[in-house]
Amino acid sequence: MSATDTSLPPGFAALEPFVSAWAIAGANDRLRARLSSREADRVAFFDVAKDLLAPALGYLDKKPLAGLNDQDQRLLRLLLSMAHIALAVEIQGDDEPMHAEGARYLTITRAMSDL
Amino acid sequence: MSTPSPQYLESKAEDPAGLGTDPIPAGPYFRPDYFELEREAVFKRSWLQIGHVCELPEPGTFIVRPLELAGASILITRGRDNVVRAFHNVCTHRGTRLVTDPAGKRSSFTCRYHAWTFGSDGALRGAPDFERFHVEAKDCGLVAVAIEQCAGLLFVNLDREPKESLRAFLGPLAAELETLPVAQATTFAEYVYEIEANWKLTYDNFQENYHLRFIHPRSGKAAGGADNPFGYPNRFGFHGPHRTQTIWTNPKPTIAPIQGFAFAKGFQFVAADGLAQGPHNRTYFALFPNFFLIGTPSQHFSHCVIPISASRSRGVIRLYWSGADRCASERFAREYAMATMLDIHSEDRAVIEAGQQGLASGALSHIHFQSQEVLCRHFFHSVDRAVQAYKAQRSAAGAAA
Repeated sequence: MSATDTSLPPGFAALEPFVSAWAIAGANDRLRARLSSREADRVAFFDVAKDLLAPALGYLDKKPLAGLNDQDQRLLRLLLSMAHIALAVEIQGDDEPMHAEGARYLTITRAMSDL
Repeated sequence: MSTPSPQYLESKAEDPAGLGTDPIPAGPYFRPDYFELEREAVFKRSWLQIGHVCELPEPGTFIVRPLELAGASILITRGRDNVVRAFHNVCTHRGTRLVTDPAGKRSSFTCRYHAWTFGSDGALRGAPDFERFHVEAKDCGLVAVAIEQCAGLLFVNLDREPKESLRAFLGPLAAELETLPVAQATTFAEYVYEIEANWKLTYDNFQENYHLRFIHPRSGKAAGGADNPFGYPNRFGFHGPHRTQTIWTNPKPTIAPIQGFAFAKGFQFVAADGLAQGPHNRTYFALFPNFFLIGTPSQHFSHCVIPISASRSRGVIRLYWSGADRCASERFAREYAMATMLDIHSEDRAVIEAGQQGLASGALSHIHFQSQEVLCRHFFHSVDRAVQAYKAQRSAAGAAA
């Protein structure tokens, strides 16, 4: 892929730098990624994703979930990671390291997004 | 503190359950001998929540659930006749564990040892060289376990002859449960934890709000407000061994931007399904012995605290939903709802274990519950009543022998 290509649908290239870290399949893996992440990485992702969340869901909602292509799927996975990261950044803030200490004992065994 | 808002109707009663105000003995929360009594008096003769009918959507589907507290594994099937049945997951030939898969779909179950084959109705369908046995096939069916359902929730009872039906056990709560979204649920999300703590100590954490502001200062921020800083419930209800609380609604919750966005999305889909305004959507049910269900439609979760030993338990939390995700927004909202509840539950684990460590030292002879911890008091009394009745029954049987 050249520098001008994007692995995401048109309009969401600003999220491209976060694809490798946060476009994660599987809810439990998204949780684990949150719990092992660094604050700077969480905040960087959150700051870009917060303004694109509503338009990205609006874009994806126009398609049936079964009809999402690879780019759409990647975007959706980023947004699902945002569900976890928003809690870390927006709710827990600087309590997140302490919070993560307890959360690592929980395991998601089944999520709607995995079915 | 400002004047309480009309929404907060604090229970002023000093002793709302009529159970007195005495300290509670500490021993039952850590002693192995008390746990052994609970195993017999409570868990081998109560209706235990074990699953949901949506896990058995069509004939031939089955699930297997461990019940460590009874050293048992339970096989639950939906037969060709559409009837849901439960059995001990044990081949009747020589006791081999029959099914090893946790769930699936098949019309028969064959024991890997000598190939005895059972139907989903439990009947022995065939066994190689069976004519050499000295028993009839009709007497070799799987050992049945009592199973009944309410609001789609499946409950088993290990007592071979349960002393009452599930409906009689639940009393008036059965009809209330039937009004909840769980009764129409077709699917669910689930997360689990294991904890080095007694099942009652673990369970108690989730039926008092006194701790919220200390253990959940961030994730539980919306639970308390100026009128009700501890987020105490509006009222308590006591129904035989079960109990309920009516959750207080904070009129001015502090909501963060993405949190508000996600909650609004979630509510929109629940409302579209006509599930937003149930009569019991602010009720938190605590069903004896070890099950919780919250009526809140957009975060409609159950929590089962399963004892493993006197000092070890497993928590299983499920968020029940109606229908598969319809679109990306619904998928996002459901992921956020699950992650929100997981955040709150994960914050409780360490302090519950710390409680277990303190109690197990034997330093305290008693613990104390304030009037807003009355559900914990009622729970202890419900368990202890069953334990004392069992002990009396056992002594009477011993005296008669």
